[in-house]
Amino acid sequence: MSLKPKYLPSYFVSLRSPASLDISVFVSFKTFLGKKIINFIDPYVDMIVVDGISLLCTDLQVDPQDIVMVSVFMTQKNILPSDIEFEIDTIEKFREKLSYMRSELRDDQRFREIYNFSFGWAKEKGQKSLALETAIGMWQLLFAEWHWPLVDHWCQFLQLKHNKAISRDTWSQLLEFAKTIDLQLSNYDEEGAWPYLIDEFVEYLTENGIVQRPQN
Amino acid sequence: MSMHERKTIDLEQGWEFMQKGITKLKNILEGLPESQFSSEDYMMLYTTIYNMCTQKPPHDYSQQLYDKYRESFEEYITSMVLPSLRVKHDEFMLRELVKRWLNHKVMVRWLSRFFHYLDRYFITRRSLPPLNEVGLTCFRDLVYQEVKDKVKDAVISLIDREREGEQIDRALLKNVLDIFVEIGLGNMECYENDFEAHLLKDTAAYYSRKASNWILEDSCPDYMLKKVQHELLYVNASQLLEKEHSGCHGLLRDDKVDDLSRMYRLFCRIQRGLDPVSQIFKQHVTIEGTALVKQAEDSASNKKAEKRDVVGLQEQVFVRKVIELHDKYLAYVNDCFQNHSLFHKALKEAFEVFCNKGVAGSSSAELLATFCDNILKKGGSEKLSDEAIEETLEKVVKLLAYISDKDLFAEFYRKKLARRLLFDKSANDDHERSILTKLKQQCGGQFTSKMEGMVTDLTLARENQSGFEDYLNSNAHANPGIDLTVTVLTTGFWPSYKSFDLNLPVEMVKCVEVFREFYQTKTKHRKLTWIYSLGTCNINAKFEHKTIELIVTTYQAAALLLFNASDRLSYSEIMTQLNLTDDDVIRLLHSLSCAKYKILNKEPNTKTISSTDVFEFNNKFNDKMRRIKIPLPPVDEKKKVIEDVDKDRRYAIDASIVRIMKSRKVLGHQQLVMECVEQLGRMFKPDFKAIKKRIEDLITRDYLERDKDNPNIFRYLA
Repeated sequence: MSLKPKYLPSYFVSLRSPASLDISVFVSFKTFLGKKIINFIDPYVDMIVVDGISLLCTDLQVDPQDIVMVSVFMTQKNILPSDIEFEIDTIEKFREKLSYMRSELRDDQRFREIYNFSFGWAKEKGQKSLALETAIGMWQLLFAEWHWPLVDHWCQFLQLKHNKAISRDTWSQLLEFAKTIDLQLSNYDEEGAWPYLIDEFVEYLTENGIVQRPQN
Repeated sequence: MSMHERKTIDLEQGWEFMQKGITKLKNILEGLPESQFSSEDYMMLYTTIYNMCTQKPPHDYSQQLYDKYRESFEEYITSMVLPSLRVKHDEFMLRELVKRWLNHKVMVRWLSRFFHYLDRYFITRRSLPPLNEVGLTCFRDLVYQEVKDKVKDAVISLIDREREGEQIDRALLKNVLDIFVEIGLGNMECYENDFEAHLLKDTAAYYSRKASNWILEDSCPDYMLKKVQHELLYVNASQLLEKEHSGCHGLLRDDKVDDLSRMYRLFCRIQRGLDPVSQIFKQHVTIEGTALVKQAEDSASNKKAEKRDVVGLQEQVFVRKVIELHDKYLAYVNDCFQNHSLFHKALKEAFEVFCNKGVAGSSSAELLATFCDNILKKGGSEKLSDEAIEETLEKVVKLLAYISDKDLFAEFYRKKLARRLLFDKSANDDHERSILTKLKQQCGGQFTSKMEGMVTDLTLARENQSGFEDYLNSNAHANPGIDLTVTVLTTGFWPSYKSFDLNLPVEMVKCVEVFREFYQTKTKHRKLTWIYSLGTCNINAKFEHKTIELIVTTYQAAALLLFNASDRLSYSEIMTQLNLTDDDVIRLLHSLSCAKYKILNKEPNTKTISSTDVFEFNNKFNDKMRRIKIPLPPVDEKKKVIEDVDKDRRYAIDASIVRIMKSRKVLGHQQLVMECVEQLGRMFKPDFKAIKKRIEDLITRDYLERDKDNPNIFRYLA
């Protein structure tokens, strides 16, 4: 089974289709960019918003699937503090801002905020959990930035054994797991409070010989 | 008095004098006529040594005298002691040895006094072994080394003889053992290596061979008592108990009740001595029980090859055997082990192991419920007196205590009880109520409330029915022309059944209407749900030869009635007209056309039902009976029961978690799981994974959240 199809996060998917368009996102995006650049952003707004985003990304020389875009949206929604006031009046300055935000992703705390924010961001409105396809796409994006070697196994395991939506709890605990448990799983405690899906993942890893746990 | 120059004594001359004294001593020891030593004799001998040691070199004979001292012993031992020991055997040899040892000690005492001066200067200065030690060492090297094995064997055989009840000379035994101790000159090595190790080995072997002499205290020398009790029982307890043929296992296997009682009495004296005994007891019972499971498993798999129509018989036998096993070992606990709580616990733990294993895909909860059903139903496989039934029920309920899935038992039991009650298969109402009382005592009121409700429902239903008959008699216009009996049940008490599924034949629709009218005169706001699948009909079938009364289920009757309107019907026509599922249609058509009574002819005439079959009424059917019952095999309800129980468990776990968190507000994961298991343990043993899933579900539903800083801690969200 190939695990490398480029999954599209659902927010991009929804931006692609005018019917389920989240106008407010774009409007507040404009606010974030500031009045000064109203002229700069206007051409994008005038277009169908989805294409506008795409075009914006092209101009920014950013892949729309780049996780840094999540960061952008978070900042713009005041979820993350925008600590420096950039004078963004040109596409170049926006680009500079992006590379700064990208560097921020390497910060643990900031990454955690983005990671946890992504769940609510990516899930369908009114749903409590995140569709598996979307979740897997998001994980691929996020863990591309913050490297976790088991991510492919995790996604493969979910598709083989779970094939259901992902709860917020499992989502957020997975980051804890990725951050705290070493690759030999030597500090993993089966008596702990890990979500059962993670317990089963550990079983899957050991049963399939992907990880040899040290005998203690 | 002036000091005069002492005359030098040469060695030969001095030793000759000493030799006389030594010979005298030997004669005394040998019991030959000889006068006692006087103090002059002693003085002279001592002085001679003194003088010989204090002469100027080369006439200082200290070294020579030291050697001659030793040689004297050696000479005496070789010429007298060893020959006398070699000609004696067994107990006589032991006596000789004791005597020789005593003599030797006397000899050492005297000789070392004569030679005492050597000890004071020569030996001290040269750090040589002192005289006393030299003397005793001689005996050890020359006598002890030669005879120790023979002595050991003789002693052990003496002990063995006493174990067999013979009187033995205990003083002798003690004296011999003293030699083993004393010969070590202050350390116990000789005793331990040359004797004790052998004794323990022998004793272990002995008691393994002959378990009947467990009361060691009465039979062994006092000297041994402390030692042996400690060494033999305490240190070697496990080795003893685990002896393959005659240890505790062996005794249990061979049902040596008296020996086990003795073992209990003995081991209860040692601190924690009963722990290993109870462990072995537990192991033994577990093995026996597991063997029963295996046996039942084997016979079940053999049976599968044959026919499946005697289902339950093997399982019945299995439960019987488990009950017998329990009777047997409960008696052991009560009698041999004097009702000690440790053994009650061991028995419980053992039964919990194999009672929860299940046989051939059936859980033990189901087996027990089936067992009860067989006892309680009419014409069950068990033919028992009332007393025997009571007693057996009592025992089944006792076994239930070991089953962790009590909820599963309850659900199976309810299913079977429902069949007994609704199809009038219950043999005896008193027994039904009696087992419920027993279950209530053991598992609490909640456990039996539904079952009791079912039994009560049936009494009420009978009253209700006579009310209905009165109503029909007084309202002649309402009478549908068909006798109708309705059993009104309370929804919550009974297992859930499919309702309103069947397309009822018009004749029966009328009946239902009439009853509904009647029921409304009695109660308001009560909704009747009709469960056709549980109905029975008696119908008259007019065949070419004669009319036969058929006792069938409502399903079967509805299918047969279709043939009043059409001669031939296809499978799909029947299915549409009845509005039943494929499973049901296949089942009932099979009972009417492929089983013993072929009321319907099937095309093609095969043994199984297929969806392309066509059916017609078999007008030629005949039977010598005027009334026949056409059974419809019940659907296997096992899967549904298990699903229902699983669902109930999810609710139960949810409720338990919420209850705990509501009172504790903040709680660690492990504690939460533990408390949850504890709360629910009386009904079932929740799986950790299941609890985890429920916790996660409650997080999603915002009843709980994880602590921000510690994901192992949960908070209750009010």
